Amino acid sequence: MGRKYLKAIAIIFIIFAIGLVGFYAFSAMYGDGLEKVMQDNGVSEGEPVWTAPLDYGDGYGGSLVMGIIGFFVVMLVFVGLYLLVRSRKRADHSR
Amino acid sequence: MHIPDGLMDPTVLVIGWLIALPVVAYAVYKVSKTIDEKAVPFMAVLAAGIFIAQMLNFPVGGGTTGHLIGATLACILLGVYGSVVVMTVILVIQCLVFGDGGLTALGLNLLNMAVIAPFATAAVLWALKGRRQYTATFTASWMAVFLTATACAMQLAFSYDLSGGDYGIEGIIAIPSMMAWHAVIGIGEGIITTGIVAFLSKVSPESLKMQIGRKHEIDSSGKEVAT
Repeated sequence: MGRKYLKAIAIIFIIFAIGLVGFYAFSAMYGDGLEKVMQDNGVSEGEPVWTAPLDYGDGYGGSLVMGIIGFFVVMLVFVGLYLLVRSRKRADHSR
Repeated sequence: MHIPDGLMDPTVLVIGWLIALPVVAYAVYKVSKTIDEKAVPFMAVLAAGIFIAQMLNFPVGGGTTGHLIGATLACILLGVYGSVVVMTVILVIQCLVFGDGGLTALGLNLLNMAVIAPFATAAVLWALKGRRQYTATFTASWMAVFLTATACAMQLAFSYDLSGGDYGIEGIIAIPSMMAWHAVIGIGEGIITTGIVAFLSKVSPESLKMQIGRKHEIDSSGKEVAT
């Protein structure tokens, strides 16, 4: 991965770390638009059919770590895509 | 706007899967056929960036918050099919790894945020060709959020009607509430997306893939010049 992408990742993490401060100061106690509409109408979430191994974390540190883990999980999926595209192109060239 | 398990009628959930899956499959096919392997790292960083941006809810007043969906940003940078793929990867990871959005509702979440939002963006950008770049970006971002929320509200209403009130929320309440809240949340999406596009226009104009708004050319110093 090139230098410019490493720089972009560093900038994203810095913005995320600062943004999380604002999130915990102003937003963490409130739900999003759909959750607000559900709450106003007395509708609650059903039992989840899948228990996810992780969550977004409760405090600042936990959320920061979970965000970074999520970031790299997403990156990992695209590494898989990259390898797939590369192997397909090599197979096309060798024909 | 991630729909949890147990909120929608099972018929509506099935319809969500039936519409979303073929579109996602076609988008994956198109991207895998046309993508340059050098573009994959850019796609990866963008997708990962949108993932963490979605964690940062911002207050919109009235005791509620909104967060970036990111479909418009992805659509501008990668095209509509790239946006579908990026949003699909994000939503699947959010659901399976972090429990954000129900597994049974994943089809509807894909339909709303990985299909409707990118295609709404593409339609608005196409309709606003010739307008100023930032006006087109802001309008597309706002419309993507608004139409996605409207679709979600209609799913709530259909669920309510189909189930006789066991699932969903009555349309007369769900539709105006969802539209009103997301009309405000869409402004946040518009500001963030337009800000990022403006930043990229300055530092990396070549990353703006779709022809958005007024045509621009890059001069010899790498700066963007309106034509």
